Amino acid sequence: MLLLTTSRDELLAPLQSVSGIVEKRHTLPILSNVLIEKRGGALTLLATDIEIQIRTTTEGAGTGEEIAITVAARKLQDILRAMPEGTEVSLVLDDKRLTLKAGKSRFALQTLPAGDYPRMQFNEGAAVEFSLSQKAFKKQLTQVAYAMAAQDVRYYLNGLLMVADGSELRMVATDGHRLALATTELQGDAPHTEVILPRKTVLELARQLSDSDDPVSITLIGNQARFQFGPIELITKLIDGKFPDYDRVIPQGNPKLVKAHRQALLQALQRAAILTNEKFRGLRVLLEAGSLKVLSSNAEQEEAQDELEVDYSGDSLEIGFNVSYLLDVLNNVGTEEVEIHLNEPMSSALFTLPGNSNFKAVVMPMRI
Amino acid sequence: MTRPRRVAHLDMDAFYASVELLRYPELRGQAVVIGGGRDREPELLADGSRRFARLRDYVGRGVITTSTYEARALGVFSAMGMMKAAQLAPDAVLLPVDFDAYRHYSRLFKAAVASIAPQIEDRGIDEIYIDLSGLDEESLPLAQRIKQAVREATGLSCSIGITPNKLLSKICSDLEKPDGITILGMEDIAQRIWPLPVRKINGIGPKATEKLAALGINTIGELAQADTALLQDQFGRTYAIWLNEVAHGIDERAIVTRSEPRSISRETTFERDLHARHDRDTLSTIFTSLCTRLAEDLQRKAYVSRTIGIKLRYEDFRSVTRDLTLPVATADAATIRRAAGECLRRVPLEKRLRLLGVRASGLSPASESETDNAPSQGELPLRGG
Repeated sequence: MLLLTTSRDELLAPLQSVSGIVEKRHTLPILSNVLIEKRGGALTLLATDIEIQIRTTTEGAGTGEEIAITVAARKLQDILRAMPEGTEVSLVLDDKRLTLKAGKSRFALQTLPAGDYPRMQFNEGAAVEFSLSQKAFKKQLTQVAYAMAAQDVRYYLNGLLMVADGSELRMVATDGHRLALATTELQGDAPHTEVILPRKTVLELARQLSDSDDPVSITLIGNQARFQFGPIELITKLIDGKFPDYDRVIPQGNPKLVKAHRQALLQALQRAAILTNEKFRGLRVLLEAGSLKVLSSNAEQEEAQDELEVDYSGDSLEIGFNVSYLLDVLNNVGTEEVEIHLNEPMSSALFTLPGNSNFKAVVMPMRI
Repeated sequence: MTRPRRVAHLDMDAFYASVELLRYPELRGQAVVIGGGRDREPELLADGSRRFARLRDYVGRGVITTSTYEARALGVFSAMGMMKAAQLAPDAVLLPVDFDAYRHYSRLFKAAVASIAPQIEDRGIDEIYIDLSGLDEESLPLAQRIKQAVREATGLSCSIGITPNKLLSKICSDLEKPDGITILGMEDIAQRIWPLPVRKINGIGPKATEKLAALGINTIGELAQADTALLQDQFGRTYAIWLNEVAHGIDERAIVTRSEPRSISRETTFERDLHARHDRDTLSTIFTSLCTRLAEDLQRKAYVSRTIGIKLRYEDFRSVTRDLTLPVATADAATIRRAAGECLRRVPLEKRLRLLGVRASGLSPASESETDNAPSQGELPLRGG
């Protein structure tokens, strides 16, 4: 039974959109599969790991029967990738095997029934809805996501706090050593709502969102969130927990203000990072009027030193940091300049952007 | 040709009970069992004598940790339920377990042995293997000297077996217990070892013993004569080869003088089964105290752990374990409690619990370089999470 004839790219693009969340190892074999569904001219692909579900629908899928079948996502993706661009492919189902034909190539794949596929149902009830441009949302995610914890026992840190409040959308992430906060304006007026998006959801959104002005619509109901953008709908469970009070860890009135050229500082840090201890990644920063020196050394006693001119006129200060934390901040903000607000060698550093109160990053120092 | 090895196994005689008898000499010659909690502490009376708890008055679910030879003569052995033991020996004196005291005496006897023969493999609180290969002294006077040193340091007696390997020494230390010395060479195996039942071999447990008995093999001698093909059919190749070797007294295992523990754990069986919800406060207190004591164990032994696990036993005796690997190794009670709490979220808690345990594995030494001189990352003062 011929199910579908389409071009390789028409099938591969939506497949790549959904298959990113498919885990390699599963207790449930069917979760390695992608659900392929065709109704009329609409082709729907859907994948889930039970926590997140991504669905993409494209129109104009060509002729063929109405189908609903599941097949191994990675294998199908690898096969399509290995085809030349623009190849015409067809899917034929006979006796529980899905055969993909393209030119003289034949691939017969196992299937599992679509009826067994665990679909997440999106909650019904009182919803908080808002939307903003994909570009703005993606930028905000990028400015914050690196500070999320991974596999922390404080499970609520393994994600990103998203706070909708009036015409503001705030995001906060912290792993207990550093914290990042970014705010954007919302179109519309959302009631105060706080949710924690799981780490995997955040990374997947950052991967899938485009830099366009097209909107992403966000719906929050109960313990779920839904993101709709372009042909994609992503539904995710939320982390059930209380995020720490982030305001109190943002230092107020750190007296030593350094203004630095972001690229110059980034490059100096990247060079010095080569000779930091691989485990601790510690690096010393020596600050004097007009100058910022970075010093590193590793377990083999190899040493690196670099220096750049900065706008600073305060007292000298020596302070240690995990260089990765500094690189993360500098890599994920797009400005020419950065401002660093420092105090004592063991108190936190605040990073801000000139003329922009919407971004803050806090990094705790390291005793070296 | 290399010189034959000379290995001793030293086993303290009824160790816990003997330590208690040092403290309460008036109990010497009586049936005494050790087990249960602190509330069985003897009561000091006005005339200076002590009133001891008796086994017959015991109510609860504790098991016997150990007993004196007099109690063993009445059929009361370690791991027996105390209520059951009370039927056999109602007048036996019951003393609470005091691990701090046992550890103290354990350190004393090991130090005393080390002053004579420093190549020691620690096998627990009351037994050690000693490699005597490098010493010139004859076995008998050497064994007497070691026993004397242990007695002077602790006031306690021990039994020693000296043979060419660990397997035989372990068997021999048990032959003349208590206060015994057994020395034998490979040429004595047929006469001294072969008449013994197979279960005397460390590594042949109740199941294998039963299976061997079904094959008509009861003594180590019969095992040595057994058809290897038959053994292989019954036990598989590896175990069959091992059975044949040990029956001939062959054991090449080295003395491991420095060993790192794989894990350290603390667990407790409740006085009555507890429910996660209805007995939440009680459970929570016990849970926290287990974590605190585990952290103290780690700190005392100077280890940090990367993997914290929990063990639950339900009222139906089914057990589950869960563990969690931390980003940074720890010996901190609060961190352990948090990780263990995280594990607890991942187990079903509908049924009542009879036992709760917390385990630290993935151990590494809390060396000074890691804790004092290593860079330390500052923590944000996060609250309210």
